[in-house]
Formats: sequence, structure tokens, C-alpha cells
Amino acid sequence: MIIQIILLVGLVIFAGLAILAKDLLKAALSLAVASLFLGIIFFRLSAPYAGVFEISVVAGLITVLFALTISLTRKNDQVQEARLVKIAFPLFFILFLIIDGLVMKSLLLKVPALPAGPEAGTFGQVLWKQRTFDLIAQIGVILAGVLAVLALFRKKEEDKDE
Amino acid sequence: MVFSFIVIPLLVAAIMPLLGKISKKLIPDVLTNAALAFLLLNSILLIKPIFNQGSIIQNISWMGEKVNLQIALDSFNLFMLFTISLVSLAISLFSIDYLEHYGHKANFYALLLVMIAGMNGLVLVPDLFSIYLFLEVAAVASYALVAFGLGYDELEASFKYLMLSAVASAFALLSITIIFGMTSSLNFQDVARGLQDLSARYVIGVCLAFFIMGFGLKAALVPFHAWLPDAHPSAPAPISAMLSGLLIKVSGVYALFRIIYSVIGMTPVMSQVLMALGTISMVVAAFLALGQKDIKRMLAYSSISQVGYIVLGLAIGTPLGIAGGLFHLFNHAVAKGLLFLNSGSIQHITGTRNLEELGGLGKRVPLTAGTNLVGSLSIAGVPPLAGFWSKLVIIMALIQAKQMGYALIAILASILTLWYYLLIQRRAFFGQMNEKWSHIKEAPFWMSAANVILALICILVGIFFTPVFKTWISPAAEALARGVQQVMMWGI
Amino acid sequence: MSNLWFLYLFFSALLIFIGIYCLLTMRNLIKLFIAIEIISKGVSLALVATGAVQHTILLAQSLVITYIVVEVSLVATALALIINIYKKNKSLDVRLLSKLKG
Repeated sequence: MIIQIILLVGLVIFAGLAILAKDLLKAALSLAVASLFLGIIFFRLSAPYAGVFEISVVAGLITVLFALTISLTRKNDQVQEARLVKIAFPLFFILFLIIDGLVMKSLLLKVPALPAGPEAGTFGQVLWKQRTFDLIAQIGVILAGVLAVLALFRKKEEDKDE
Repeated sequence: MVFSFIVIPLLVAAIMPLLGKISKKLIPDVLTNAALAFLLLNSILLIKPIFNQGSIIQNISWMGEKVNLQIALDSFNLFMLFTISLVSLAISLFSIDYLEHYGHKANFYALLLVMIAGMNGLVLVPDLFSIYLFLEVAAVASYALVAFGLGYDELEASFKYLMLSAVASAFALLSITIIFGMTSSLNFQDVARGLQDLSARYVIGVCLAFFIMGFGLKAALVPFHAWLPDAHPSAPAPISAMLSGLLIKVSGVYALFRIIYSVIGMTPVMSQVLMALGTISMVVAAFLALGQKDIKRMLAYSSISQVGYIVLGLAIGTPLGIAGGLFHLFNHAVAKGLLFLNSGSIQHITGTRNLEELGGLGKRVPLTAGTNLVGSLSIAGVPPLAGFWSKLVIIMALIQAKQMGYALIAILASILTLWYYLLIQRRAFFGQMNEKWSHIKEAPFWMSAANVILALICILVGIFFTPVFKTWISPAAEALARGVQQVMMWGI
Repeated sequence: MSNLWFLYLFFSALLIFIGIYCLLTMRNLIKLFIAIEIISKGVSLALVATGAVQHTILLAQSLVITYIVVEVSLVATALALIINIYKKNKSLDVRLLSKLKG
């Protein structure tokens, strides 16, 4: 349990670093480390496949995409963040921490839930047989993403010659 | 076959970029319109079986394996499917000519089809998580389509839309997660049954607040409307028509009310909150629309205002109110589609959308002026046209439910609507002709054809109001009011 | 509902708060998108924790994997938009985007 809490705290700290870091590359790397923590948490919650996906895709692929974008837009990106934002952040954060803690404490044992029966089958069976529709939707999302990137990076007036 | 509503657009979209290499214009045009015409035909063919039996059950086994492809179809879904197919077919006809100066038709059509597939999927699935997923399919396609012109405004508007929309769907998913935690299931029927057993009113209240935040942002109800007046005008005209006519209704209004009626169950408090939200959007957006100079921006504010009407009607909770809301949803989809397409025609003809530069176009382009007049009067609610009847039904339902205050506000807002639509009409088409516009020509064939089709629907639905309402809208409203959906099992 | 659930929800709410704070105050486009990523981490943590506590972990796991796929698609679109905006603007400052003011 203690290890789990340490991991969760680490996740929150690196998420905070990701928004406070001045250098964008460092921010993206902090985000990757946060994903790494999240992946390990998934693993310890007996969701190994989700953990692997989180680490390989989110910490890996998305970080690469972020790094690529940052390097492409690097030349003169001196965006001055308002200084007050970073000073005020711990203040608001601690305020929210207290509110959050109180809300969750007051909710303890208040939320009713139906007991779920034990799950049958393996992960593969659940994914392929119970959530088949999601796979079709996934195809749709991937298609949408690919087409969106194609549309956004197309050359203008390419087909004027027709 | 019901499943084709999702599969056909996706398949055509997937092969479109390859076909676009072979023929840049003809094949994408023909294929997209054929696919959408097929879907429209399919939805018309489904009307009879659904009204006779309530639902169709088919079991197809595929390689002896049992998989879970669940589609729920009742008259409410069918009504939405028909609306989506009809308006999107008109929009793709319009795009044949309009897209000439954007280029890259294949890519455009592919994104359009993915968006339609996402909306059809969203309408058909009886599963909370799948609703979220198809919402994202439609949304990701729409971000790219808003930015399709790659101009400065388009990119900005699209980025803002993306940010707000991503937060909205995160909140919707959070709420779905909480419901999933309480009932351990995601299917509408199971969740509805589970929630009835649990009696957890406060937690459901929190979930509902998240849902209203998430889907309300997608539907652009007033406190959450900031993205719409940028995103909708920046997009190419057919996409503005698609977003304003269909996407905000399907991914906002449909999803919210399907979950409220079929899963959570309507309560008087919810009804009051939603009615108040609807009225606020109706009034505030109508006032904001008055001050606009850009035609499309004015139309976008008008969309927010009309969505307020729809939400007000659906939130009353009585069968008459729901019927009025749905009828207005259909009328607004057709009329606002028509008006945005018309604004595209105006831009195509003159090269500007600024109301102050336009004037006296009516003599040169009678067709565009005429269809624009029909659409404006229909939305504003002038008697023989379709929009009048739906507003009348909503106001009657309000009076029946003893909500005189809301009824009065609805009538006043409709007068305000008439005012700003006449403003467009007068400034753009009537009055002194600007010297600049003495050589303009009527819009190309397919653009005018799409406008005329939609205008005819506005007129015909208005004239044949009674049969349309009895055979088409009332069953859909009853299906929604009945709450629990008939579920079809598809064991492909 | 087990008490453990609220521990995870507590942390997931913290992540969502960090994301929204960043979204409301920061000016760099990439920072804004990192905020969206943090929010989605919070949501996926809540999803997996719900599954683990309620013993529906297999179902929750398949949902999270689908969610990650959606996220990748969203990231690709958003970053393509950011690069395009940078090409037009030569800057990543939100304040230069006149439309974003409201």
C-alpha cells in the first residue's frame, strides 16, 4: 500500500513539474516520467496490458511526438508565462488538496455500489468478445487521426494542375 | 441492415485517399454522394419495420464465434439517423461545387464520412463508453475539418475548439467512470436497472452535473458556448452546416437526453435546471446575434439560441414537450443547414460575408435569395413554414405544463429571432444594390440544387405538418419518453 | 464502495485540478496541450482504479487501452494544429491568437 501511495505522489509531483518547468522539453520529459509512474500503478492494480500500453504508447510515442513538435517550433519560442501563475500555483494546489481531501473523506462509505460477480474469461476474450464495438470505434478514431494529419500537412493547391 | 450506418462511411472513408490518387474530383464526388444516398434510402426502408414491430432482431454468426456487437434501434434513433442522412446528403451535394477552390476533395470527403460514421455510431450504441468513443470519432474529424482551410482564423478557432472539447469529453468520461464504478456495467439497460436499485441521489446529481458540463459544452449551451461563434464561421460552409446542423445536436443534445431519459431517469429538479439553461442560452445568444456583422457569425449565435429552444422543449419531460423539442431539432437541422450553405453561396458569389458590404443581391441571384428567405422565416417561426409549428408545439407544451413564464420568454425570443433574420435578408438581398455586385452570377448548379432541396423540405414539412407530426415525430418522442430502449443483439 | 477507491479518486482529482489550472493560466500552446494530457491521465487513473476496486479489472483494462488509442489520435491532431499555427504565427504565444480572447 505504501509503495502505491509513493507512486501516486510521484505521479502528481511529476505532473506538477510538467506544467511548472520553464523549458518545454523538460516539461515533456516530466510528463513521460509521470506516465511511467502511472504505468507502474496500472501494473500493480493488476492491469498489466494497460500498464504496458501506458508506458510504451503514452510515455514513448506521445513523448516522441511532443519532442518533435518542440524541436520544430523551437526557433523563437520565448513565451513569457505570467510570473504570478507559478507563485500562486502552490497556494491553489494546497487549497484544492484540502478541499479534495475533505470531500473524499465525507464521501467515504457514502457511495453505494452493486457487487459485481467475478469476471469470466481472459483479458483477450473480454476485449474481443465483450467490447467488439469499441474496436470498430478505435478503427474510426485512428482513421480520423490519420486523415486529420494528412489534411493539416497537405500541400496547398497541389491539384490545380488537373 | 442497421450496421451499415457505421461500416459503410468508414469503409468509403478508408479507401477514399487511395481513390483520390487516381481521380481527384469525379470518383470522390460520386462515391461519397452514392454512399450517403444509400444511407438515406436505408433509413427510409427501416421506417416500416420499426413502426410495425418496434425493433428488429437478427442473429448472424460469424465463423462460429460469438461477439458482442450491440445496436439499439427504436423510433427515436431512427428519427436521428434519418435527420443525419438527409442533411449530410444535401451538404455533400453542395460540396461538389463549393470545394472546387479548396482542393483536396478526397481528403475532405474522407473526413466528412468519418464524422458521419461517428455520429451514426453515437446514435446507435446502447453503451455508455461507446457513446464517449463515437463522440471522439466525430470530434477528431471535426477539428481537422474546421481547420481545413488552413488559414489563420481557421487554425485558431480549431485549436480553441479542440481544447474545450477535450476537457468536455474528459468530464463526460469521468462521470461515466463513476456510474461504471457504482453499477459495474456500461450497458444502458443494466445501468438503468442498477441505478434504480441503488437510490444514490447525490452521487447521480454529481454525475449529472458533469454530464451537463461535458455535453453542454458540446451542445454550446450558454455558459459553455465560447468556442462555437469562432469554430462554426471559420470552417468551410458545408462543414459549418454540418457542425451547426448536426454535430452539436447529436453529440450534445442527443447524448445528454438519451442518457437522462434512458439511463438516469428524469426528475423535476433536473427538468428545472435544464429548462433554465435552455432559456438562458435562447435569450442571451439571441441578443448577441443582433450585433454581428458577419453573416456566418450571426448564424452561429442563432444556432446557440435555437439549441436553447430544443433543450427547453426536451427538458419539459411531457410527451408533447419532447415531441416539440425533437421536431424543432429536425427543423433546425434542415433550416440551419440551408442557411449556412446559403452563406457559402453568398461567399462564393461575392467573395465576402460582411453584411455591410452586401446589398441588393436579390435581383441578381433570385434563387439564393429565395432559399435564404425560406430558411430564415422557417427558423424565425413564420406561419406556413416548418419552424413555426415546432415552436408552437414547444410553447403549447410549456403552457400545458403550467410554465407561463418560460412560454412568454420563448415567444419574445422568437420575435427577436425574426428581427435579426430579417436584418440579414434586408441587408444582403433587398435594398440598394451596391455597384460592385452588378456582374455577379447565380451559384453553380449543385450548390443551388442542395439549397433548393432543403428549402423545399422546410416548406413541405410546414404544409404537411399534421401527418408528419403524427406518423414521424410522435412515435420518436414516445420512444424517448418510454425510457428504456429496445435492444437488438447482433451476434455477427 | 471500498475506501481504497476514494484514495485513487483523490489523486485523480488532483491531476485534473493541475491540468485545469494550467489550462486557465498558461500561455504557451504546447503547455496548454500538456495540461490536456494531465487531465486525461487523471481520468484513466480513475478508470483503472474503479475496475480494480470493483473487480471488473479486465473490462476496465480494455476501456483504458481504447482510451489510450483515442488519446494518441487526439495528440497527433493537436500537435499538427500547433505546428501549423507556429508556421503562420512564428510564435506559440496564446496572446497573439486574437480569437482566443473570448
